Amino acid sequence: MAEPLTHNLVHFTRYLRAQGLRVVPETTTYLVEAARAVGLRSRDDTYHAFQAVTVSRPEDIPIFDAAFDLFFGAGQRANSPIDPIELEVHPRGPRVHIIAPTTVEADLGDEDLADMSDQVGASAVERLATRDFSELNKSEHAEVKRLIARMVWRPADALSRRWMRSSAGARPDMRRTLRQMTGPVGELMPLAMSAPKPRRRPLLVIADVSGSMERYTEMLLYFVHAARGRLGRVEAFVFSTGLSRITRELRHRDPRVALSQVGLAVHNWSSGTLIGDAFADFNRTWGRRITRGGPVAVVISDGWDRGDPATLRKEFAAFARSVHRVVWLNPIAGRAGFEPKTQGMRAVLPFVDDFMPVGNLADLSAVVRLLESVPKRKDPARR
Amino acid sequence: MNSVDEVLKALTDERYVAERSLGVAIYLALQLGKPLFLEGEAGVGKTEVAKVLASILDAPLIRLQCYEGLDVGHAVYEWDYPRQMLAIRLIEATGEGAKAEVDDIMSREYLIARPLLQAVEATAGGERPVLLIDELDRADEEFEAYLLEMLSEFQITIPEIGTISADRPPVVIVTSNRTREIHDALKRRCIYHWIDYPDFEREVEILMRKVPDLPPELASDLAGAMEKLRSMDLFKPPGVAETLDWAAALAVLGTTRLSPEAADDTLGVILKYQEDITRLRSEGLEQLVASVG
Repeated sequence: MAEPLTHNLVHFTRYLRAQGLRVVPETTTYLVEAARAVGLRSRDDTYHAFQAVTVSRPEDIPIFDAAFDLFFGAGQRANSPIDPIELEVHPRGPRVHIIAPTTVEADLGDEDLADMSDQVGASAVERLATRDFSELNKSEHAEVKRLIARMVWRPADALSRRWMRSSAGARPDMRRTLRQMTGPVGELMPLAMSAPKPRRRPLLVIADVSGSMERYTEMLLYFVHAARGRLGRVEAFVFSTGLSRITRELRHRDPRVALSQVGLAVHNWSSGTLIGDAFADFNRTWGRRITRGGPVAVVISDGWDRGDPATLRKEFAAFARSVHRVVWLNPIAGRAGFEPKTQGMRAVLPFVDDFMPVGNLADLSAVVRLLESVPKRKDPARR
Repeated sequence: MNSVDEVLKALTDERYVAERSLGVAIYLALQLGKPLFLEGEAGVGKTEVAKVLASILDAPLIRLQCYEGLDVGHAVYEWDYPRQMLAIRLIEATGEGAKAEVDDIMSREYLIARPLLQAVEATAGGERPVLLIDELDRADEEFEAYLLEMLSEFQITIPEIGTISADRPPVVIVTSNRTREIHDALKRRCIYHWIDYPDFEREVEILMRKVPDLPPELASDLAGAMEKLRSMDLFKPPGVAETLDWAAALAVLGTTRLSPEAADDTLGVILKYQEDITRLRSEGLEQLVASVG
């Protein structure tokens, strides 16, 4: 194989990685093998072959296309050398700087966080527990965030379709029984038993980040981040006029970095709300991919909706059918005299299993306790 | 097969109409001895690739259908418990509880081979069977992790017997409907190809090849209607399998051109969600038919 080609393929691989494709060191080898197998006479075949060994998700195809054109040009042969200096290769991808998604976070400097004492007195916790998130001052804000990160999570289990050994189980484990029998041959045949293995039930969070939720958004996203850290299998989405998946962005361990990445990824912060459209989008684009394994769905929204209530009702009904349980968290539901009167709220309530306030820390603890006690079976009374 | 063109020709001979990109992916998988990972919406012909390939290579097709909870006992091997029990009884009855005989019941003879072991054993003597691991997205992560090891080494370890290795890697086709993401580690070991819905011309070609005696006008009507339906943001857009079913259904009804009435009668063949059917009926089938006529 020609030297310049291998050289180019190394750069090509690096460039693909810099563009966000998940390539591995062996990718270069795969590319060389692919080039060897199909030859370089047909640009088309080379293109298809390179794509087959580098791309592993349909979303990556446009990125690959652009990179391929850049390296091998339209109609050019793949072994013409390319000057690597012209390419800006960032081997580790762009670094994300901390850009706060909300104005409140922007005001909060690092000193504020550093100032915080390690010990929070019981009285302070008590005082903060019932303070509405929208009424917190800067230092209280930071304290509440820290308390959220410290919450204890014990998620509910669901039964999986896998089996594990269990003396109290109901299904005989023939393999183990037979193996035991190959020992000293006796008269008694003890039957080894197995029972369904529990698995963690996944959590799906869909949070409203529209204008009316602004004062709660940051705190609630901290909560979602904490949930992700503790439960693992958490899928998260936010919506206002459109729906965005933020699961990947929330992966960073530091909630501030994670939230800043969410801030960069989501474009329609604090705009209007079209809840029905958001759920329509979810049902079509994500539903089948995300609702495997019967997740508990947590929807966080005040129910203020500018869209058509009929659409919302229809889409939310379909959504509720595809998950194990629907928990609706409304930040203003805890206020005195609250009634779910908005059109949006009225449209979805028939499909909601649990409706809870999330205005303060105490409410969040109640949510965690609720998630621990989700029953294994679906609520038959609903829908 | 020695070139992409040969692969494409063989596919066409088997009445499988493929994009060139799929031909390249298949060729690479065969040449480099890597598994072929096919992803795409339901009903675009992923499983069919394996069947056609088995027929082209004149090799046995071994199929593993995945589902949640799929375990070693159903995917790889299982001991034949009833026979083992009988053997033990026999040893007891004849009063010869010799250790050698007891050990015998844990030998290959008492093992039932499931698809993965079948595939490994079928490579004996240099054969290359086609192993189809269908709808991997339905299996759980535990099984995926097992498969990862199996696909890189093509060997199976049975604690009681030892390791059984393939003489040469079988042709492996993995399919996924993408109801969840398959782990990168597994995809990386494979040649990846995303099968998209066919464009209008290709769908007409598929119809003409697959449905004998189909009037060309009807084929064009159906392909046009499908193109429109797939752009409609439906809950579940119809795949190629649905197009073929539709053509068959209309043929049974003796239809030669697509009319609003004929479409209405057969809507259940192509749309599988009540929401989609209601929506199409309310938006008017006339429009759908008129747009293609």
